[in-house]
Amino acid sequence: MEILESVRINLLSPAVLFFALGIFAALVKSDLKFPEPLYIGLTIYLLVAIGFKGGVAFAEAGVAKVWLPATAAMVLGALIPLWTYPVLRHIGRLPAVDAGAIAAHYGSVSAVTFIAAINYLDAIGQPYERYASAFLAVMESPAILVGIVLAKLSARQNGAPVGPALRTALRESLSGRSVLLLVGALAIGFLAGPAGMEKVGPFFVTPFQGVLALFLLEMGTVAGRRLKDLRRVGPFLLGFGVLVPLVNGALGVWLGQHTGLGIGGATLLGVLAASASYIAAPAAIRVALPEANPTLYLTAALAITFPFNLTLGIPFCLALARHLFSQT
Amino acid sequence: MNPPTMKLVTIVCEAHARGPVTDLLRKVGAHGWTLFPVEGEGARGDRPADIPEFTNLQIQAIVPSAVATTLLECLARDFFPRYGMIAFAADVQVVRTEKF
Repeated sequence: MEILESVRINLLSPAVLFFALGIFAALVKSDLKFPEPLYIGLTIYLLVAIGFKGGVAFAEAGVAKVWLPATAAMVLGALIPLWTYPVLRHIGRLPAVDAGAIAAHYGSVSAVTFIAAINYLDAIGQPYERYASAFLAVMESPAILVGIVLAKLSARQNGAPVGPALRTALRESLSGRSVLLLVGALAIGFLAGPAGMEKVGPFFVTPFQGVLALFLLEMGTVAGRRLKDLRRVGPFLLGFGVLVPLVNGALGVWLGQHTGLGIGGATLLGVLAASASYIAAPAAIRVALPEANPTLYLTAALAITFPFNLTLGIPFCLALARHLFSQT
Repeated sequence: MNPPTMKLVTIVCEAHARGPVTDLLRKVGAHGWTLFPVEGEGARGDRPADIPEFTNLQIQAIVPSAVATTLLECLARDFFPRYGMIAFAADVQVVRTEKF
């Protein structure tokens, strides 16, 4: 019953309700559309706020405490494509390039899902390691590179070298605004420490939930407009988009527990592993693997896995973390 | 005054093609280009340009006729199979030809 209650709390949070409103707006073809500068402004605020808070917490916790779970997070992200790729290839019977592209998206992470999870843990009063946004920063790129290598290796019969595609993807995924802002704000938070937090806290902490709700309204319309593509991707990807987050989420929670995180931190690592990137990964994949079909990876990540995690995946990770920690 | 004729090449493409297209423009000898975000509907259906990452771009360059031919050939051979895009050229009359 506890899990039902935590699902109910999540579904009735302003952030998730605004997301639902966004989906509704898209379904009824409302003229609601955020102007591009507002969308970009909100993403900058959210990434900087989350990076800065994480950096301050990182400074407080010290490198000795953070390096092990952060390394584990990075390795987990890089390994996820290694098991999702064969599933996509052999069970889903997808071409190598599409399997590699989708695997890259699921190994990489969604910052918005992570931010929603933090918001949820705050709302139910579950403490968590506040430096967890460092995990978000290190998990974004490795999986994208692994997915590209997998796609290129099996497509090598046509003689295309792996190197140039990897270089473009690396450049794309490291210079993209999300990694740049997140890593930059983490570093600034780390250097500024708690004294810096006192100065900018009122701006980055108090309005955070409202900004997230507004942003999820926009993301609801973006996801909602792609729901009609569900018919085109077929039942395999539908199942994949729901089951893979559950498996990866469980792996993340388990790994968090074994690398010294508490219930909250393990939940967040689970949410990161469960999430699929729909901003950074598509940008890198579109340039490195332009032959891959964007409808497949975008629909799976944005129209299936993102709404699933936002509503059920996050409470699932928390329930699993609580269960695992109660066993020890 | 009788301004000389040059080619205006217009490329409408997905945002992710921006880097490769502008690299190609430089490679074939275009001296500059102008770019703006656009939205529309095409043969492959609706392209909701709702967030900047998924938007469409219109890239325009004015070039000598020979450069336009090379550019369109390269686009058709290397880009059309990989990216969502269209391209076309038109005659334009240009002042300050030294800019192009």
